[in-house]
Amino acid sequence: MSAEVDVKPKTIFLVEDNKADIRLIQEVLKNSSLPHEVITVRDGMDAMAYLRKEGEYASASRPDLILLDLNLPKKDGREVLAEIKSDPNLKRIPVIVLTTSRNEDDIFHSYDLHVNSYITKSRNLNELFKIVKSIEDFWLATVTLPEING
Amino acid sequence: MVNDLQVQNSSFIDWEEKPIHISRQIQPHGILLVLQEPDLNILQVSNNVSTVFKIASEEILKKNLEDLLDPFQIEQIKLGLSQESLDFINPTKIWIKVKGDEYVIFDGIFHRNSDGFLILELEPASSQENIPFLSFYHLARTSINQLESTSNLQDFCQIIVKEVRKVTGFDRVMLYKFDDDGHGSVVAEEKLAELEPYLGLHYPASDIPKVARKLFTSNWIRIIPDSHGEAAVLIPEKNPINQQGVDLTHSILRSASPCHLEYLHNMGVGASLTISLIKDQKLWGLIACHHKTPKHVSYELRKACEFLGRVIFSEISAKEETEDYDYQMRLTYIQSNLMKYMSQEDNFIDGLVKYSPNLLNLTDALGAAVYFGGEWTLLGKTPSIDDLNFLVQWLKNNVEEEIFYTDSLPRIYPDAEKFKDIVSGLLAIPISQRSYVLWFRPEVIQTVNWGGDPSKAVQASHNTQGILHLSPRKSFELWKQTVSLTSLPWQAAEIKAALELRKAIVNIVLRQADELAQLAHDLELSNSELKKFAYVASHDLQEPLNQVANYVQLLEMRYEKQLDEDAKEFINFAVEGVSLMQTLIDDVLAYSKVDMQAAEFQLTNVEHAFDRALINLRGRIAETGAIITHDFLPTVMADKTQLMQLFQNLIGNAIKFRSDKKPEIHIGASRQEDTWLFYVSDNGIGIEPQFSDRIFVIFQRLHTRDEYQGTGMGLAICKKIIECHRGKIWVESQLGDGATFYFTIPIGGRERERRSGRKTQNNLFSRG
Repeated sequence: MSAEVDVKPKTIFLVEDNKADIRLIQEVLKNSSLPHEVITVRDGMDAMAYLRKEGEYASASRPDLILLDLNLPKKDGREVLAEIKSDPNLKRIPVIVLTTSRNEDDIFHSYDLHVNSYITKSRNLNELFKIVKSIEDFWLATVTLPEING
Repeated sequence: MVNDLQVQNSSFIDWEEKPIHISRQIQPHGILLVLQEPDLNILQVSNNVSTVFKIASEEILKKNLEDLLDPFQIEQIKLGLSQESLDFINPTKIWIKVKGDEYVIFDGIFHRNSDGFLILELEPASSQENIPFLSFYHLARTSINQLESTSNLQDFCQIIVKEVRKVTGFDRVMLYKFDDDGHGSVVAEEKLAELEPYLGLHYPASDIPKVARKLFTSNWIRIIPDSHGEAAVLIPEKNPINQQGVDLTHSILRSASPCHLEYLHNMGVGASLTISLIKDQKLWGLIACHHKTPKHVSYELRKACEFLGRVIFSEISAKEETEDYDYQMRLTYIQSNLMKYMSQEDNFIDGLVKYSPNLLNLTDALGAAVYFGGEWTLLGKTPSIDDLNFLVQWLKNNVEEEIFYTDSLPRIYPDAEKFKDIVSGLLAIPISQRSYVLWFRPEVIQTVNWGGDPSKAVQASHNTQGILHLSPRKSFELWKQTVSLTSLPWQAAEIKAALELRKAIVNIVLRQADELAQLAHDLELSNSELKKFAYVASHDLQEPLNQVANYVQLLEMRYEKQLDEDAKEFINFAVEGVSLMQTLIDDVLAYSKVDMQAAEFQLTNVEHAFDRALINLRGRIAETGAIITHDFLPTVMADKTQLMQLFQNLIGNAIKFRSDKKPEIHIGASRQEDTWLFYVSDNGIGIEPQFSDRIFVIFQRLHTRDEYQGTGMGLAICKKIIECHRGKIWVESQLGDGATFYFTIPIGGRERERRSGRKTQNNLFSRG
């Protein structure tokens, strides 16, 4: 059962306001061998609308992984994280905070909100490649996550 | 105060206790008859009566006044006695037939004593007629006219003695004024040129005992025409009606006490006239007239002098009140000036001492001291700082009121005796438990106008039998003992002014506390701004940096084949620049994290902090083979993370700036008086002494980055950490000869050094 499911392209939901970072992550993901699609939104409000399939996102597909920046317009990444993790329908989707902030408060706070992983953006491109690779390997290929219909 | 210091002289004590008014002695220049109304039976007479009436005293006692005088006179007298006030018949000219047509004229003065007996006193009259009232008026008017053009009390008193001397012709006329304690001093004097001046002499209260003082208030004018005259005695001794002595309180002939007479004799006084000056029912002062030889002043003239005394004195009282008022006004003026100065100066204490008028003028003190924030500011004549510190300690334990004052500090604070020349009088206003304003007045002896050569006068008062005899100079000596350890009293106006000043200072201190609170609030705001900045630095500033770095690298990666070596080198420079920027930001963040408020001061074992620093540095220690040794390291009040950071930076620097020798680093500690002194010494390249301050300044470097990496933040962070602990940090080094970094940490923690630390803290913020 699991083998067939794996072939299905993974949906990566990227919440990031910085165009350069979006592009960079897309570029890095291009190298991936895993079939996937990247869906991007630029602020926290859109992120929640998408996840709850509201408005224009009515037919949105449920993501397999959420990459979340913390500093976002309209709705802060911390709020988005809190809402996802307190929503019974969404809380099992793995969320990785991907941010420039190395502020200790941010890190503790994110884990308090049950983030699955907190990763600090690197200025070293090779590091970034490694990080994305490990995300893919761990969260998309390795980890067995509960099946959710819907 | 004086009464409990009873004078060690028996004659004084006798005098204090003896009831002067119950006496049977009268002065021999007049005759006294005690009569019973309405028949005017003669109950008692002075034994000199026979010199006038030519009848034996015993015979007179059997008679009636009517038997002695003309019926016409008796009728006049009886009419006068029936009037409401005896003032109408006093004095009455009384003609007494000596023999044949020869009459002697007397001034007869009647009064009723406390037992209801009529007392008739006869003094030889100098003129046959009464002086018309008009002459009193002229006498007073001339004087008052002079007084009106006189502005101060001193001149006023001088005019009085001059006028009294003019009308009476006494050799010496003095105005004697009592202070609140009953001591007196001669404030004005007119005299024959050859007489020794008494002006300025002080007398102890005991010189005029209470009983005498009371008599002075009931008898406003008293004359002793001949101080050597042998007293006449009343006979019989006791009143035949009530078998008691006669109350002679209001008698004008009553003998002075032997003690007083002796006093006069010692002064060489043959005759005296004393006029009481009464203010608010209290004896304010006396006009004392002295004559070398016996001298009689007629009743009328005495009355005229008394009148003069009363009239002029009412002017004096008014003037005195004006002077008090003027003084109050002057103090108010000084006070408002002081307040102005205080508000002009950053430090209010400067406002109290730097200008004129100053703190001394406010209370007419010779010395003043302000104790504020543990520091003394002195003005005028003051005790030493050590003595003042003890005095303040004493005040702290003994004074709770808003104001404390004494004119005899040494009597309640014996330690003050050694500086009585400076502080016999103390006026103190506590601003708080730790702040005082003090005023000092010297022992009054130091300020007295001696009026002549005191040593000479003391000799003159010696008596051949070696018995202590009273004399003005001797009295002055006595007064000196009485008032030793005592200053001039603090006046009500001065005390009030001090209290007003206290209010003003308290307001200023409160306002400053407000300002400090505001400052603290502003600091807190700017601190939280700083924290926001720190966050921005850790996130927002790094984002664009990452972006630049990542894309440059992506460029290199993606187009590797198209790029030549130059292009790759340029890309490296760009990446390095970004990398340096990142380090700088990290270091500035680390610097801003050394935060006084965030620091957790606790007992910290310095060795643990040191060990943790070594663990963080283990890579570099291993690389360089550094040898690190240390002495015993104590436990101090410190923030252990900051302490670790401090060692890490200092040891890290010692390794980084090593010479070509293998790094050898030693950490030592020694106990100073109230701090621990630590040092970190190395055998590295050293520092030129001219740079020894510069290296602690943020972003200051002595080398290029090619030579030594780094941002120039390490030592600035060290300095901030040490300042956070209220300590000091410095370096001793010579170029090429290693360096030793010293730093101190106060033993009691940072509280001890709070004041100096606060200043440093302000500098820090202004620099940031």
